[in-house]
Amino acid sequence: MMKLIGGLLVILATSWLGFTFAGRVRDRPKQLRQLRSYLAILKTEIEYGTRPLAEACANIASQEETAVSRLFQASADQLLKGDGSSTYECFRRAIEQEWQRTALQQSEQTVLLQLCQVLGSSDRQDQAHHLTMACNQLELEENRAREEQDRYEKMYKTMGVLTGVLLVILMI
Amino acid sequence: MPYQAICKILPPGLREVIHSLPKGVSATIEEIRVRQGRPLEVITPTHAWFVDKAGALSKNPECAWIPTRGDCVKLLNLISNHSLYALEEELKRGFVTIEGGHRIGLAGRVVVEQGGVKHLRDITGFNIRIARQVKGVGERWISTVLHGGRIENLLIVSPPQCGKTTLVRDLARLAGTGGQGYPAYKVGIVDERSEIAGCLHGVPQHDVGLRTDVLDGCPKAEGMMMMIRSMSPDILVVDELGRAEDTEAIHEAVYAGVSVFATVHGRSVEELMHRPTFSPLLGEGVFSRIMILSRAQGPGTVERVLDASGRLLHPNRREVVAG
Repeated sequence: MMKLIGGLLVILATSWLGFTFAGRVRDRPKQLRQLRSYLAILKTEIEYGTRPLAEACANIASQEETAVSRLFQASADQLLKGDGSSTYECFRRAIEQEWQRTALQQSEQTVLLQLCQVLGSSDRQDQAHHLTMACNQLELEENRAREEQDRYEKMYKTMGVLTGVLLVILMI
Repeated sequence: MPYQAICKILPPGLREVIHSLPKGVSATIEEIRVRQGRPLEVITPTHAWFVDKAGALSKNPECAWIPTRGDCVKLLNLISNHSLYALEEELKRGFVTIEGGHRIGLAGRVVVEQGGVKHLRDITGFNIRIARQVKGVGERWISTVLHGGRIENLLIVSPPQCGKTTLVRDLARLAGTGGQGYPAYKVGIVDERSEIAGCLHGVPQHDVGLRTDVLDGCPKAEGMMMMIRSMSPDILVVDELGRAEDTEAIHEAVYAGVSVFATVHGRSVEELMHRPTFSPLLGEGVFSRIMILSRAQGPGTVERVLDASGRLLHPNRREVVAG
């Protein structure tokens, strides 16, 4: 009886691990798409609304409550602090604070940080140009992430369950 | 420092220096001048001082606090809310209006496109001009322009920094609010340089009266016509007439039955008569009241009030209207 419960626990644990990894792989393209659509809104806010960054970021965050929109809320909070930090510093702190809660990875962080170095520091046309560039780069990342999803999502799930089964067989 | 709005845009280093200024100075301060790599300066109605790190004043530039490039970048970040693109128009004009109606003049490298100023970059000079509305300065004079249901056309003549904007703002407030002996009129302010009403996002930061509408940042001549067409004002208020098209617009307004309160740079009516844009206005007697200001007894000293024919209404009486 004890053996049966133990075995079940092992299988549950490894399956959970497998599903978590699969979830990460599945969420990443979705979140990348969200990020791109938020940046598109930001572009409109800057180009046509000439709204200040903090206000635009807060607007985006207020429309939807997701892991990615929380990035924008944190940025707005940092920008409004008014402690004299540079614009880049504000965004960097917000990204550092919220990144762990998203399924996003290093490569898109680099794209975002590059964008943050120019955000707010030039005229509207130039801002729109940089935002479009960042969106294009993120699209590439999204395609890559989608391929990864196709390839690995199922694999992680099955591997989780099968590893559990294997361990149980070995232990019996 | 009683000015919250100013503190909000100062970076921490500079904020502390300004905070530690002596009380008497911070209450009367007119300008804070920040120049990258050069001593910090504050200007009061009577003196120009350099300020050191502890907020002490001196005439000696050597011990003064010197803002670095970092300080200037931070100051610009705070002024623009991290969003320079939102200030395109302001950078073209060279100044930004912030909450409270305070104005910040900017200097730096000018970027020119097709012969016109496109914007400023490398901004290294800031002139933070503290706006103070002095309510009540016009009370003494409102009866000379509004009496018995009549509205006179008023021209305020004064050299710079003598309180003409302060006076015209208060007259607009009184006329737009109404008071003893006169009703509240519909007032339209055409505020080309955002000085009269100090608008932020279209909302006047100064009290300019209950029935007052403001066209902010609008060229005067065009703005006066827009006001007449769209807002049907009883009184139009404009600051610093000067161009030929302004004169034309004043003519249009007066003949359309709208009264005008205007100001102009100058020392005397004789001097104005020599300016080709003004001699027709004065010659035709468009302005039925002319007030001449000076600094003889502090800003806002009213030297003389004349009527259209140049007759003295308040013979050589000196009245200080603003402190």
